[in-house]
Amino acid sequence: MAPMASLEGTPPLSPALLLGMAARPLPSAVVEAVLRLALRRVQARHPDVFARLWPLAETVFLIDPLDVPFKALLRPGAQPPTLHVLRTDDPAPAAAVVISGALATLVDLLEGRADGDALFFSRDLTIEGDTEAALTLRNALDGADIEVFEIMLGILGPLAGPARRLAQPGRILTRRLRDDMARVQAALTAPLTRQCATQAAELTALEDQVGELRRRLQQCNVRTRKG
Amino acid sequence: MPAMRTAIPELICPAGTPAALRAAVEAGADAVYLGFRDATNARNFPGLNFDEGEFREGVDFAHTRACKVFVAINTFPPARRSGPWHEAVDRAADGGADAVILADVSLLDYAATRHPNLRRHLSVQASASNMDAIRFYQEAFGVARVVLPRVLTLAEITALNRQAIVETEIFAFGGLCVMAEGRCALSSYATGQSPNTNGVCSPASHVRYEQRNGKLISRLGKFIIDKVGDGISAGYPTLCKGRFVADGCAGHLFEEPTSLDAIGMLPKLVATGARALKIEGRQRGRTYVARVVATFRQALDALANGETPPHDNTLDTLTEGQRKTSGAYMKSWQ
Repeated sequence: MAPMASLEGTPPLSPALLLGMAARPLPSAVVEAVLRLALRRVQARHPDVFARLWPLAETVFLIDPLDVPFKALLRPGAQPPTLHVLRTDDPAPAAAVVISGALATLVDLLEGRADGDALFFSRDLTIEGDTEAALTLRNALDGADIEVFEIMLGILGPLAGPARRLAQPGRILTRRLRDDMARVQAALTAPLTRQCATQAAELTALEDQVGELRRRLQQCNVRTRKG
Repeated sequence: MPAMRTAIPELICPAGTPAALRAAVEAGADAVYLGFRDATNARNFPGLNFDEGEFREGVDFAHTRACKVFVAINTFPPARRSGPWHEAVDRAADGGADAVILADVSLLDYAATRHPNLRRHLSVQASASNMDAIRFYQEAFGVARVVLPRVLTLAEITALNRQAIVETEIFAFGGLCVMAEGRCALSSYATGQSPNTNGVCSPASHVRYEQRNGKLISRLGKFIIDKVGDGISAGYPTLCKGRFVADGCAGHLFEEPTSLDAIGMLPKLVATGARALKIEGRQRGRTYVARVVATFRQALDALANGETPPHDNTLDTLTEGQRKTSGAYMKSWQ
């Protein structure tokens, strides 16, 4: 089960949300150093992906995992690619594309385990800004077999082996926890979500009617002036 | 006594990237279809499609696993600029393609003249929906297979197949174009580009999404074409799936965002006599390809063994707007 589609900018109830709370005291510089190492490893293992990203040399992406207290500014098409980590509550920097969703959703997308269009249809993934750049990035990543888990383990060096043994059951547990938490959230918010959806539909219909009335009023005004 | 084996159609699967090609082949495709990285095919999206090296590697990968490769060159060359389209046909022939999927009569003529041994399939973009049209393409250009438009009912497809002058291929799953294919210029009105010549409907360079007050706003060119409330499923930013106000009421004037899903009527599709079933979605990721192809492979294999295909709703989450339809196959309107 994918994390439930969140209200705009609201994090889903997920293991990453709890882990993110625990990670809140971490300085963003530490997170940035780890992610930069990971990015360099991805670049070394998948040069073909970055070869497809040359049209994005100047394009800045803001990657916003909603359930962790950090977000990243990424220039994947730069030579070399650049990455800067910010805290969620830092002022929103200028970016050509903003991609947001639950951390697990973004990792699934990065690893090619989830279909980007399906995530967009279900509203688990939000894209704003330069759609062409977002598609270029998505299609380049989808063509690779990036294993985020292995990349992150690789950073641990000699500790990778023991970490892998510990992490495997941890991954299974995390997936189950993610599904369970999504169910809990769905159960808790279902009545509210239904109500909101109904109200949203009614509001949209009203907005459309108001727009149409305005248009007709303008036409009447024009005719009156001509007459 | 073993169950009777039923003759089943080929499963033709989308490959937008080398990874999607591998996923389709490994999931059980009988053939994959792909395009080159330019306007010669109707899925000319950024970062998608194959350069020459990737194409040749893809052909090797598929052929060593007994899977065919079809190359879609199914847009219409503009006047005096047919060079890239001719080169694409040559590249497909030289690279070992099993067939080219063409729509334009000049390209069909070029392929028939220059590469007479290369199979020619008529693209759905040619919109050949009656026997006279099919006969013309067969007699004039030696077309071996026609991909039928998605406007025909199962009864109409069966009637065409009974005359059996060429093989037919019909869609079984994926994005559903409600317009007369190859003749729709809606996208041009908003963006100046259409799938027929530029290879892309609603080009990404003209699409902007915006989150405002809990709503997803889709813009195509200068126009807002949809506003979707939070928690409501979204669709592709195409004009035919947009919501418009007419007579004071807002709604989907052409069609709701939805995908064709004919897996529930697979025995009926097979009974039409179509030689191949097509999965749409070269613009989709490899996860989509792997899941859809594996599901259809399993269902077709069950049918081949005289078994009932398993009931499967797992593809629902992959459909546009998370809604599915049987399209025109069972339509009661004219």
